[in-house]
Amino acid sequence: MAIINNSFFGIFVSIVVYLIGVFLFRKSNGFFLFQPLFVGMVLGIFVLWTIQHLTGASPTAVYDAYWQGGTKNHLGANFLFWMLSPATIAFAVPLYKRNDLVKKYWVELLLALIIGLFISLAVIYGVTKAMGLSDRVIASLLPSSATTAIAMPLAAGIGGEPAITAMTCILNAVIILALGDQLVKLFRLQKDPIGVGLGLGTSGKTVGSAKAVQLGSIQGAMASISLVVIGVVTDLVVPIFAKWVGLV
Amino acid sequence: MDDSKKKSAVGKEKEKEPSNILVQIAIFVSVLFVSNILAMFMPKSFPVPAPVWGLLILYFLLTTKIVKLHQVEQMSTFLISIIGFLFVPSGVQLYTHLDIIKSDGIMLIIAIIISTIVLLVVISYTAKFIIAISSKIRGNGKAVSQEDNDGNN
Repeated sequence: MAIINNSFFGIFVSIVVYLIGVFLFRKSNGFFLFQPLFVGMVLGIFVLWTIQHLTGASPTAVYDAYWQGGTKNHLGANFLFWMLSPATIAFAVPLYKRNDLVKKYWVELLLALIIGLFISLAVIYGVTKAMGLSDRVIASLLPSSATTAIAMPLAAGIGGEPAITAMTCILNAVIILALGDQLVKLFRLQKDPIGVGLGLGTSGKTVGSAKAVQLGSIQGAMASISLVVIGVVTDLVVPIFAKWVGLV
Repeated sequence: MDDSKKKSAVGKEKEKEPSNILVQIAIFVSVLFVSNILAMFMPKSFPVPAPVWGLLILYFLLTTKIVKLHQVEQMSTFLISIIGFLFVPSGVQLYTHLDIIKSDGIMLIIAIIISTIVLLVVISYTAKFIIAISSKIRGNGKAVSQEDNDGNN
């Protein structure tokens, strides 16, 4: 354990598993299950799991070594997590580059996010209820359109489990990165760059927005808007919806 | 790809050499510093996270031309290009949630996949629909299409 209680263990593991993903993704000509983030995540978990079983250490100890070099508030993989803040701010640039569209359509975009979120919540509620999931799980899923910082307290407020919400937010992003292209084609969204941008930004957060930036400048700008707006919209809409369907 | 994009996107702004990387970092850091303070003052019941504040502030600085595009663009492009990698530790975080997956099982995962797809598809179509209606009301029948992207596809 002493060896891995080291600030660079977490960063090292993260970058190696990600690069293995990049390599596999390229060799397989972009097979979706070899999406670098997905490969990195699975291999990273596998590495921690292996260390846990080889050393007999507790899962928390292994995870702490990865996340914060084994000491509280120390540096580790959390440095990469921390870098997501400046990376989110970076979306101001694609947004500004298509300021023409923002000025022209901001009312429509706002309406689309509010109404779209209401409809999404209704569909998600209907489907999960039909699947027989418990209210606790459903309440944890509903706020997942926002980032974790907003979604977790929101979930706790409507009777959900914040840990499930955090997991949902992470998986949302991974799923969008892995399946985004296929989904866009399957549902014939590609002809409407504004819609795709908003959709990718809402469902995939920063990761989805990075994907949208790759698709084009309009998609990128729209995803950046949804990053700013959807958090606030979720904050306002989800409690109202939860009251309507009787979760709280 | 970059040249054609810059020219047509923000046409009037002259293309300049990217600023010194330390200047770019300094702008990002100052914006983050201010946005962290703003986030601190938000009430607990209505959290607005620091990165969201930061995005708004940097956008505001760009629109008011206080910060010029060439002072942040290189850094921004770099950061956006490595987001997938930066997200790896968040993904590995699921290691601590393995017990949830064990207890709520495969149904939970399916529900999460469905909710992701629903968000993507419903929001996309709602936006398409609303913009179609509004262009009819405004009377400028042409909606924005893929062709309006500036040549980076």
